[in-house]
Amino acid sequence: MASATIAPALKQPAWTNDRNVLRVLAIVFVVFVYVLPLIDDSTKTMDFMTKAMIYVFLGMGLNVVVGYAGLLDLGYIAFYAIGAYTCGILTQAFHIPQWAAVPGVVVACIIAGIIIGGPTLRLRSDYLAIVTLGFGEIIRVTARNLTIDAPDGSPMVRGPSGMANIEQWSFGGWSFTDGLNIGGMFIREQVIFYYFVTTIALVLGVFGISRLANGRLGRAWKAVRDDEDAAEAMGINTYTTKITAYIIGAVWAGLAGQLSATQQLSIAPTSFEFLFSALILMAVVIGGMGSTPGVVLGAMFVSLVPNLLRNYEWAENRYLYFGILLVVVMLFRPKGFWPATDILPWSSEKIHKWLTARKAAKAGKDLIATEEDTYE
Amino acid sequence: MTNSWTKKALALCAAMAAATLSLTACGGSSDTLKIGMAIPTSGENAMYGEYMIKGAQLAVDEINAAGGLLGKQLEIKTSDSACEAGQATSAANDLVTEEIVVSMGGYCSGATLPTIDIFSKANIPMIIPAANSNSLVETPRDNVFLVNGVGSDQAKMGYDWTQKNGYKSLLVIDDKTDYSVGVSTYYQQFAKEAGATIDSISLNPKEKDFSGQVAEILKHDSFYFTGYAEAAGLLIKQSLEAGYSGGILVADGSVDVLTGSTVGQPKASEVIYGTFSVTPDMIDDGGAFISTYKAKFGNEEPGPYVIQTYDSVKLWAQAVTEAGSVEMDAVDAVLHKIEYDGLTGPISFNADGSRKKSPFVIVKVSEDNTFKLFDDMAS
Amino acid sequence: MTQVLIDGLFLGCVYALIALGYSMVYGIIKLLNFAHGDIFMFGAMIAFTMLTAVPGLQSAGIVAVFGVLILSMFLTGGTGVLIEAVAYKPLRSAPRLSLLITAVGMSFVLEYGVKQFWGSKSITWPQWAQMGAGSIPIFDGTITISRLVLMAVSIALMVGLGFYINGTRQGRAMRAIALDQRASTLMGVDVNRTISLVFFIGSALAGAAGVMFGMYYGAIGFMMGFLLGLKAFTAAVIGGIGNMYGAMLGGLTLGLIERTTVYFCNGDDSWKDVVSFGLLILFLTLRPTGILGDRVVERM
Repeated sequence: MASATIAPALKQPAWTNDRNVLRVLAIVFVVFVYVLPLIDDSTKTMDFMTKAMIYVFLGMGLNVVVGYAGLLDLGYIAFYAIGAYTCGILTQAFHIPQWAAVPGVVVACIIAGIIIGGPTLRLRSDYLAIVTLGFGEIIRVTARNLTIDAPDGSPMVRGPSGMANIEQWSFGGWSFTDGLNIGGMFIREQVIFYYFVTTIALVLGVFGISRLANGRLGRAWKAVRDDEDAAEAMGINTYTTKITAYIIGAVWAGLAGQLSATQQLSIAPTSFEFLFSALILMAVVIGGMGSTPGVVLGAMFVSLVPNLLRNYEWAENRYLYFGILLVVVMLFRPKGFWPATDILPWSSEKIHKWLTARKAAKAGKDLIATEEDTYE
Repeated sequence: MTNSWTKKALALCAAMAAATLSLTACGGSSDTLKIGMAIPTSGENAMYGEYMIKGAQLAVDEINAAGGLLGKQLEIKTSDSACEAGQATSAANDLVTEEIVVSMGGYCSGATLPTIDIFSKANIPMIIPAANSNSLVETPRDNVFLVNGVGSDQAKMGYDWTQKNGYKSLLVIDDKTDYSVGVSTYYQQFAKEAGATIDSISLNPKEKDFSGQVAEILKHDSFYFTGYAEAAGLLIKQSLEAGYSGGILVADGSVDVLTGSTVGQPKASEVIYGTFSVTPDMIDDGGAFISTYKAKFGNEEPGPYVIQTYDSVKLWAQAVTEAGSVEMDAVDAVLHKIEYDGLTGPISFNADGSRKKSPFVIVKVSEDNTFKLFDDMAS
Repeated sequence: MTQVLIDGLFLGCVYALIALGYSMVYGIIKLLNFAHGDIFMFGAMIAFTMLTAVPGLQSAGIVAVFGVLILSMFLTGGTGVLIEAVAYKPLRSAPRLSLLITAVGMSFVLEYGVKQFWGSKSITWPQWAQMGAGSIPIFDGTITISRLVLMAVSIALMVGLGFYINGTRQGRAMRAIALDQRASTLMGVDVNRTISLVFFIGSALAGAAGVMFGMYYGAIGFMMGFLLGLKAFTAAVIGGIGNMYGAMLGGLTLGLIERTTVYFCNGDDSWKDVVSFGLLILFLTLRPTGILGDRVVERM
């Protein structure tokens, strides 16, 4: 008589629980990101990863607008530009430290968000897309034409050359450029900046946004995105909900702009081309609209891939491949690589079942084989 | 979460760390000296980047064949700047990690400017063969040397030419890029200092229809376009079609066969002049250089900035030999005093790193759409 | 000042031709084909290849040019149909957002695909296939013969389209679908075929605009569709999107306004785009139906 070799265990192994796996992956990711400089702190790696983290921050912001609230914003880079220029102007004209410019950046982006979003959020999604694109171009052209001198007469905003000599972050007399000495180890500016950006991106960007998304506001966004009329019927003021999403997205982009400006210590209008709005959108869409881990991965993908492949022949056509990827994703996996509705892009339970079935089939075959032997 | 989870998490971390290490694989052996070039190799300016690489390669091969530099062979490392500040800074950081000892790149001024700090902090001298906006030498850094004449020198040459031809009502047109606006600003300055009447406008190089600008051109007897070749060709063509018959001058960004070919022969070779730094066909040893270049690169003519880059490499090699090391401070000190006889003429630098003695000349479009020396304005 | 008018009207014709395609597609399936401007560029590119690939074509002169124009229109129209079939049709029942994003992706594919094969450098149109010189004075301005020819061709195309939409059965089918897609199916209209036809015609028009553009200006590039596409959309909105005559009127209006803006800036182009896009935003917020608007803009 066959023994109980085929009876499945009643308790499933812990790894088939998607939530556990997600938790592990999240922890691994955070640990990795913080430990990275200890393994490799070359200027190249630090630069690439800092830019990737800024992209994550940008992606999370756009995720609020596109992913949660369902508004297609093709001019997102405009707020990034406003943030970068605001922090540059405030610190250079009034000689205040960067952290003091943060409220200025936030206010500027809120105002911009209201001005741009106010009249246009009532429009259909198609129109909204083109209008936001138009705004992006207006901001870019204006930035390119802008020539402002500092109060002391020296050039500050130099038209197409943008702004130079932007101040690094400093707190009470200590600036990142001074470096940090911890227990005999000297940490240079670039690494400090990397930690700074990473922490902000993770805390404010990832953690902060997902908290918002899981709260009442987030639920309101999802309701409006899924069916606006039903949401109205349920008493949600769709207009306020949409504009809140838009403004939050704007502020996030502005802060990302400030981070970029302090990373490069300069900012130029050539960085405000439509291409970059499109790239951030691709990060969100390909990663997974409305999905935090999806957008994080998408943003890192869109930022790192061109950099890592920068010196290969076919990197020349990266935008062609991105375009194709975007179309393919929309056709076959429209929710993105890591859909918001899934905890993981795969189902651990299904994998477990498949493995178990294979084991059982194999055990069955072995059993038949041994029984055949005995009946010989 | 149990202990086994923590173990698994750490195991995964270790795996990723290993993966990262492999990605940042150690650079080559330390018995080569690496020359870094952050230039556009993608996008509209890619061909200029490629000319610069070829110029450098020619010089490097010659030096290597003669025994190398300080006993070591030279190697070129390139990274794409795509003429955009963000990409350029990534390229610069990439090269610094590759342990280059000198930066020989820089085509778009706007993209080169943010890389100055990066190279300077990494103790790498910068010799810039093509980018020539004045903003590059206005920074507090002193490891920057421009081999191409600065915008102000070019504007001066342009202004002198209009004076030589007796033009009275001047117009300067830029395309709203960093480099272009720079040249335009200096041109206006020179004109105003001399008391001439000058107007200045901008155009959008992404457009094709310049009828608005043409209308303005028709009100003047000469115009100087300081943008790039694509817009230059269209602008000139449309002006000529509208009946313009005044002076036409373009800056070095438009000195390219595209300008002439867009306008079309025979008209182009009648009226288009440019301010440019020298090319091989304009110099005495030019023929020899062109033959060497053709032999090496498959029978194509050397394009813009080939000899500037060639000169840059040779210049640096001489400085290193004199200084006895590749250390930035030592090399910089020699470069500030150096007098090198290059293909582009005698090279020496001002205190701020710009090139002494403007190497600009007036060129004119010829029947095959290339620009040839017309007047070196020496007299 | 007359010159400003002439220049503006000519520019307007270019915008109008491209805006027509935008408007048609939007009118029928309520999709803003973001890749439409790039189809315009694609038409120019394949025409260029045809002109330079066949040796000896030069001797056929204007006949060859005309032939290439027609052939290019067909090929571009076919490309439009292909794009619709591959990327838009499968998503017809998907949320609007997906369709728009796909259109953005398609735009990238066209732009950078062309860059891959035709290079990133500006391409010079063959000299012999370019419009000649020669101009006629009108009041205190001049108009070149080539401009007259092109404007005439554009107007002929637009008028032809008008007849088609209003006079033929397929045209009626298109208008029916624009009004009510489901009812049209019930009435026996082959929706799929009609939509394909709309894409064909809209894209063919854009392709024609592209070829004429190359012939007139003499230089084309892989990114030239981006800005023109945006302007064409602006034109369509100003005139009244979904409305054929609106697209034409909007195109002419935008061309005139742009040219006048530059005139008042003494030839300086710095702020022209800001004005154009500012107009777009103004119209969309205050009068979304455009000048001629007869379509109600629904909310999402």
